[in-house]
Amino acid sequence: MAPRAWLAAIVAAVTLASPALADSPTHVAEPAGLWTGVMVSETPRTLAGAEVIDVPALERLLAQKPLLIDVGPADRKPDNLSADVVWKPIHRSIPGTVWFPGAGPGDLPAAKAEALLRRVDELTNGNRSMPVVTFCQPRCWGSWNVGKRLVQAGYTSVHWLPAGVSGWQEANETVVVDPQPGWGPKPAASQGGS
Amino acid sequence: MRLPIAALAMVMATAAPAFAANGDEPERQARWQDVSEAIFGDRPIEPGDELIAIEAPARAMDAALVPITLKVGRPEDVKAVHLVIDENPSPYAAHVRFGPAGDPSELRLRVRINGYTNVHAVAETSDGRLLETSVFVKAAGGCSAPIGVSDAEALQGAGQMKMKFGEMDRATLMIRHPNFSGMQMNQLTRTYTPARYLDQIKVSYGDQTVFELAGDISLSTDPVIGFGYDGSGEGPLTVQATDSDGSKWEGSFPAPVSTN
Repeated sequence: MAPRAWLAAIVAAVTLASPALADSPTHVAEPAGLWTGVMVSETPRTLAGAEVIDVPALERLLAQKPLLIDVGPADRKPDNLSADVVWKPIHRSIPGTVWFPGAGPGDLPAAKAEALLRRVDELTNGNRSMPVVTFCQPRCWGSWNVGKRLVQAGYTSVHWLPAGVSGWQEANETVVVDPQPGWGPKPAASQGGS
Repeated sequence: MRLPIAALAMVMATAAPAFAANGDEPERQARWQDVSEAIFGDRPIEPGDELIAIEAPARAMDAALVPITLKVGRPEDVKAVHLVIDENPSPYAAHVRFGPAGDPSELRLRVRINGYTNVHAVAETSDGRLLETSVFVKAAGGCSAPIGVSDAEALQGAGQMKMKFGEMDRATLMIRHPNFSGMQMNQLTRTYTPARYLDQIKVSYGDQTVFELAGDISLSTDPVIGFGYDGSGEGPLTVQATDSDGSKWEGSFPAPVSTN
């Protein structure tokens, strides 16, 4: 067989193998609505109404200046951490990102969900066709959920980056980002400490 | 069939790590400035590559269990070493003070790493100078990684110790303890397991101190500490450990006859 024919055979084999992959134990179906189960677990390969992208695709998309939305959690100071412990949490993300820690749960209180959409509306100047990208870390339903919320809110160019900051930083630099006002770590149950 | 090859070439080209993190970025240097001031105040910290070195994987297999080895060139000049994981929320991972029976030449620890970070080791000399070195480690998520069993199960047998003796007056101490970071969430209840970690570990040989370690939530579950000691006196090796809840444990281990 000529080299090109070999390549064609390989492509065909990979294509044929794909449906089998979809039935592997790690295949997760899209829920009908927002996901309210375990937040850090296998995610679907798809998000209806949105485009699932990898890091190279994000690098190309950056030319269009998309709104980058990170919903990774903020480090929460342990309630009972000794007072003399040096506590200096920081969060690194993709340059230009807006960070909404804690925005990922599917059962977000209605007021928080509205605040999220209102802020995204501001940041996109009400332009529903502006590209937006949601992400956190691999196996993170939070960014899937926020992507879903944006699709439901009428955004027409939603992208979901399952590789998250982990995938990005393999070949790119990250920057320290601050949370959006009103978003932060879960407040400690008790402020006393030991 | 040209298109897939062209597409593949493009992917490979864009994936080239032209701006990959290596720890030298101004922002990471500023972070070290901030963290080192919080720990050492305004004491000057000099470059110390000739005195102290860190061995760590450039990319960790398990961010909750990253092996770190600190090596000191002139152990007789060093009275303490400090291990700082710059970008961890609680960066001051360990402070180890060596006693008369201590040997600072090599110390092994296992730590949690929260995100790509510089790891700094600072040697403190007998005359009070601070000398530092650093390596960049790629690992993420170590501080919040769930332990995988229930809190009660994780605490079973806490404080149990083992000591493994090597050659040339070297030993490895293993202490069973979950070292809860306080950042680990129970995925089903969405509540955090409270922090509970070994905060003081003192090892003695006979009546002489080998080292005293002040630990933090950055030490891994079931801490493993490899160290050297001066075995010329009388044993045994004894261990006193306390955790942040005030529990105390002790262990005593007859040391083999010194090979020195």
